[in-house]
Amino acid sequence: MPIVIQPYREEHQPSVKSFNQRLMTAIQGQDLAFYENWVPAWLPKVDGSPLYNQYFVALEDGEVRGAYALKYERFFLAGQGEHTVACYHHPLSEGIADRKYSTVGSLLLRDALRREPMLYALGMGSLDRPLPAMLKAMGWSLSLVPFYFLVVHPYRFLRQLAVLRQSRWRRWFMDVGAFTGTGWAALTAWRSLKRLRGSNVGSFEVTEVDHFHDWADDLWREARDDYRLASVRDRDTLARLYPPSERQLTKLSVIQQGKPVGWAVVGERRQDAKFGTLRVGSIVDCWARPEKAEAVILAATRGLEQMGMDLIVSNQSHKQWGRAVGRCGFFQAESNFIFAASQKLSTLLSQGSLSDFHLTRGDGDGLPRNF
Amino acid sequence: MFERVRVIASDIFGLPQAAITAGSAPENVETWDSVRHLSLILALEETFQLQLSPEETERIQTVGRAAELVEEKLRTAAG
Repeated sequence: MPIVIQPYREEHQPSVKSFNQRLMTAIQGQDLAFYENWVPAWLPKVDGSPLYNQYFVALEDGEVRGAYALKYERFFLAGQGEHTVACYHHPLSEGIADRKYSTVGSLLLRDALRREPMLYALGMGSLDRPLPAMLKAMGWSLSLVPFYFLVVHPYRFLRQLAVLRQSRWRRWFMDVGAFTGTGWAALTAWRSLKRLRGSNVGSFEVTEVDHFHDWADDLWREARDDYRLASVRDRDTLARLYPPSERQLTKLSVIQQGKPVGWAVVGERRQDAKFGTLRVGSIVDCWARPEKAEAVILAATRGLEQMGMDLIVSNQSHKQWGRAVGRCGFFQAESNFIFAASQKLSTLLSQGSLSDFHLTRGDGDGLPRNF
Repeated sequence: MFERVRVIASDIFGLPQAAITAGSAPENVETWDSVRHLSLILALEETFQLQLSPEETERIQTVGRAAELVEEKLRTAAG
């Protein structure tokens, strides 16, 4: 029976539930499930907005054998204006449960490319996973968005960070560091040194806001040409990405000499076994002209410190934002946050590199929970 | 045609040519996963200078079917 891919509709919901059940039975312990409601809870299609999610299902005689989602949005490319693109996310194939359906994964990807040739994907875990391998085989360009972290509470960090505590000797060394205070001293000294070497950002005020008003549009227009690529962050887009009803995230406006110069969205990440009981804060999204990046990162960092975070993380692609987090005491660590662009999108981006793009955790499909 | 497709499949699935039959399929070829399936399609497109639609690639359920599809596409293209 041939497999056909079509937009997910209400009548497919029972079959999606069965599909999820088969995947979960076959792959124990992994959260592999496609959306069971055909209407996206996050970014459903609304009149007049170019930002929305749409889901697709691969059907074999009425049974769902695969599914994927596209997040349609607008990218601003310096010198080229705005373009509609789509983020390819949550592809799931029954091939992971039944070898008979090993062909479905590539079918989903090729179907997505036919619907929207300007595709990108973000995140994906690591380069050796099936999806990045498929994208590479298809001629997509792949690069890693740098990952940064800042230790706020060295004692708790050294005692809790499960991922670093995998060998007996390393555990012992970290415990000694935590109990004797040498860890605290070393990390604090490092941070102070970085701050001392950093530039003087000048004084600024930070205000927590519920809405992004007209000033957000001004900031978007002022800064967008500084980046080779940026996902649109005008007032309307921000209202959809970070609505006032979203209480997990805090929106900060950074003001210098009475004028907004940037904004940041921060929040506490969900508990994750690899972080133990650490409270992990994330600089989810941010925007400003590059020369104001450090003030925005500093404001976001202080906001998260006041919220009681033990560790703060951020992904920043742009070189000046990377420098800004470094000056604020962040360390850079190995990244598994991949930006992949389809051949058509790569062609448009050919005159720039990842360090010219403005990409953060607010891009892709990480919101509203996996930031 | 089957022989040419068999050479490609043998290379992609990492198996000796003799192990590839017309009935070789994801169910009986251990290394036939989604990534290698895509590689097979891309190799067929490049070798035979043709474009396969998602519907056509979905028909490639065995190596034999892949050879049949390529033959059919080349015949159509030749007019």
